[in-house]
Amino acid sequence: MNPTFYTVQAKDAPAEMADVRNLLATYDLELDDQIEAFVVCRREGRLVACAGLDHATIKCVAVAQDVRGESLSLKLGTEVVNLAAAKGRFHLFLYSAPRNMPFFRGWGFYPLVEVPQQVVLMENSPTAIETYCDRLREQRRPGNAIGGIVLNANPFTLGHRYLVEQAARACDWLHVFVVKEDASLFSYEDRFALVAAGVKDIDNVVLHPGSDYIISRATFPAYFLKDQAIVDRSWTAIDLLLFREYIAPALGITHRFVGTEPFDAVTRAYNADMQRWLHGVASAAPSITVVEIERLSIDGAPISASRVRSLWTQHELASIKALVPATTWQFLANRDPPVTGSPEHRSLEPTSREVEHS
Amino acid sequence: MNVIKEAIAGTLESSDLLVKVAPGRDATREIVIRSAVMQQFGKQIRRIVEETLDALSITTASITIEDKGALDCVIRARVQAAVLRASETKELDWRSLT
Repeated sequence: MNPTFYTVQAKDAPAEMADVRNLLATYDLELDDQIEAFVVCRREGRLVACAGLDHATIKCVAVAQDVRGESLSLKLGTEVVNLAAAKGRFHLFLYSAPRNMPFFRGWGFYPLVEVPQQVVLMENSPTAIETYCDRLREQRRPGNAIGGIVLNANPFTLGHRYLVEQAARACDWLHVFVVKEDASLFSYEDRFALVAAGVKDIDNVVLHPGSDYIISRATFPAYFLKDQAIVDRSWTAIDLLLFREYIAPALGITHRFVGTEPFDAVTRAYNADMQRWLHGVASAAPSITVVEIERLSIDGAPISASRVRSLWTQHELASIKALVPATTWQFLANRDPPVTGSPEHRSLEPTSREVEHS
Repeated sequence: MNVIKEAIAGTLESSDLLVKVAPGRDATREIVIRSAVMQQFGKQIRRIVEETLDALSITTASITIEDKGALDCVIRARVQAAVLRASETKELDWRSLT
């Protein structure tokens, strides 16, 4: 009997998902609950293959041992690429165990970075990362100490400002990246504009738009699930190795700056991992010095964007004034906070649903 | 004809190819081909792709191809389909598709 392929929405099909979970478990894979949809294949009623899609990232791919070598997997690959295309996603990423890399080369994916023996991140273009690095190279600046900072800035606070100031002082040039993913309370556009306004007067700062290669849903899925405090060590490694092997060499970055993290477990783990993956482990790429800068405190409490968000949603505008630059304060004062949700609420869910419809 | 958005056509299966088209940069045509038969037919595949794009007057685009040993006519058809999708063409000059 011919195998049949179809798409399963992870949230709506518990029976299908139980079969998917079983198939994955057979090959020591865990079901990733960020996956929105699976392409599955059944033969004579039995689920024999599956491939999950989380936004633009393919994960949790399994093909039953006894149906391998029948070109069924190429059909599976085609189906999942088509599923992504139907959702308007063409630049795709894929997570795999390193040993299965040759298999996914046959799907048109190329390796980006690998955490040895654990996981490899691939993308469906052999040139996209180089094109991106070429664009970065145009922004290269001269000097011996070249710094890098990645900010979500949700929203930009005096704490961020202090970090950028300190880093800029310690470097010839400082490259600042703003996380592009629209999974935060404030939109990427707003966050970027507030960072731009907030660092405008610092002469040796180069501000960069974010990208799929820096703390994105593809490179660091756990970051956008902070509230659930899910931290998978190998995910932080992927993001950091991308920075070390592609972004830093393109810009000549020698130092990465980061604020100490008193509150957020995910960010704290990320900071600790930075030391390891940017500096500690052996790599063909030059090692990068990680500099942790003590957070700026006001009245004994460190400034954090989450505190600002919390005050804002509680309409405590007056208390925010001491925590953010005038430009950010102006922005917050001119608009209403969202009515529903806890102060820490992130707009992750609505964002993903909107994409569903496109 | 202009490529204004991303599009795909084809499959990853044997004797077929998957063509991905995206808007290009700086008035250049970037064509990347990976093929199961690159050693024997790489040059010929590239020539067919170039000719097909020329016929459709595509000057700026990024084309990524994963070929599984497709025949020339299949290559031409898949490239045309992907480009037409990527250009949202409403009225088609059928003569350009021969």
